[in-house]
Amino acid sequence: MEDVQVVAMLVRRCIAGDAAAWEEIVQNYNRRIYNICYRFAGSADDAQDLTQEVFIKIYRTLSSYDTHKGAFATWITTITRNLLVDHFRKTKQDRMTDSLDAAPSDHEDAHPLSDRIEDKSAPPDSRVRSRQVGETVHAALAKLSPELREAVILRDLQDMDYRDIATALRVPEGTVKSRINRGRAELARLLQRTYRQVM
Amino acid sequence: MPEQPSHGMQCHEFDILLADAFDGILSGSQLDRFQAHARACPACGPLFADAEAGRNWLKSLTEVEPPAGLVENILASTTGIATSHLRHLAPSTRPLTSWLERLQASIAGLVDPIWGTVRQPRFAMSFGMAFFSLSAVLSIAGVKPADVRQVSLRPAAIRHAYYNTQARVIRYYENIRFVYEVESRVREFKRATTPAEPAPEKQKERKNDTSGEPEQKQERNYSQSDNHLILAGAPLAPSDDLPVVSVTTYRRFV
Ligand SMILES: [Zn+2]
Repeated sequence: MEDVQVVAMLVRRCIAGDAAAWEEIVQNYNRRIYNICYRFAGSADDAQDLTQEVFIKIYRTLSSYDTHKGAFATWITTITRNLLVDHFRKTKQDRMTDSLDAAPSDHEDAHPLSDRIEDKSAPPDSRVRSRQVGETVHAALAKLSPELREAVILRDLQDMDYRDIATALRVPEGTVKSRINRGRAELARLLQRTYRQVM
Repeated sequence: MPEQPSHGMQCHEFDILLADAFDGILSGSQLDRFQAHARACPACGPLFADAEAGRNWLKSLTEVEPPAGLVENILASTTGIATSHLRHLAPSTRPLTSWLERLQASIAGLVDPIWGTVRQPRFAMSFGMAFFSLSAVLSIAGVKPADVRQVSLRPAAIRHAYYNTQARVIRYYENIRFVYEVESRVREFKRATTPAEPAPEKQKERKNDTSGEPEQKQERNYSQSDNHLILAGAPLAPSDDLPVVSVTTYRRFV
């Protein structure tokens, strides 16, 4: 986890106009923010745009970050999440609710389900297979409602604790836990349905 | 979810404890009651199984690599300074010895933030549109880039040029309606480019020059619309009044 004092120092240097300190912040957190955006928005292009927007927002509001109120990572996650909510409202999830088959991705090559059936008979190459599984799970994740999706992403992909998730999502911890449970369960049902169709 | 107490536990309580159960922090009687409820409750039992399966599925999602250039793009859109330039600024780098290096660095310092902004797709589009509008206005006003060199900055000459341009613009707008304006611009463009065609031996050189190709294509499109010209209502301006420099040529000029 982050060293509170190191981060506080970085933020202070940044506010004072130290461009190298800002670059360090970007270097340290771009991966995390990009991954949250990618898993939430579904597409690599959107994730790239959103990550850039998140950093523009962070850059503009950096002086409002209070080190005593919580971890920097939680603060930037909150900003990321708020921007994702805005993005979701704008796009109305029309691109995300496409079928599991039509989920092109820059990171996991999209194969139609028919290809995956053929793969079952072929000798499984574990790396290809795990990539295909990842691709299917990624597509299923995009079908979850945004409330469940964000909770599951922050817990299971970002390893955040419930309290920090509750802070970022501005809901009680009990609600966070409930959403995580329902998100996981809903995802499993979606995937069970997908794989049942294949077999 | 039905709120039926099963083995002394409400479904709501089970839901809260479910996440903790996966984290392995339930123990003792709490764990016993939790497990008993999972076995007995028709709603919570499947929820437990599905949530566990979903949690396992999610483990297959590994961290993805951000695209190359993401950091540079972020820096360009925030500070306007590219990473490479920041490294220049870092105190650990060797001092810039030669005057040429210092000059290059200072030019880069001036140009990079602007160029960084211009390179952003949303800004690039705006700059493109602004430039197009400017060149179109200049072209309609009869401004020729070749003339810029010979422009006289004496007050009388400026006044003369101003009234000349104004008269030309007013004449232009008074005589034609919008549709004819567009069509005659096409015609003017054709006329303007035809005499400016390079000599045959220069044309050969142009074939290798790919930058010339879009212009040729554009001209082909323009000539298509030329076939549909209705000339009756469009006033024919004297040919020496036609703006010689077309929009595309002007763009190339700059
Ligand atoms: Zn129950």
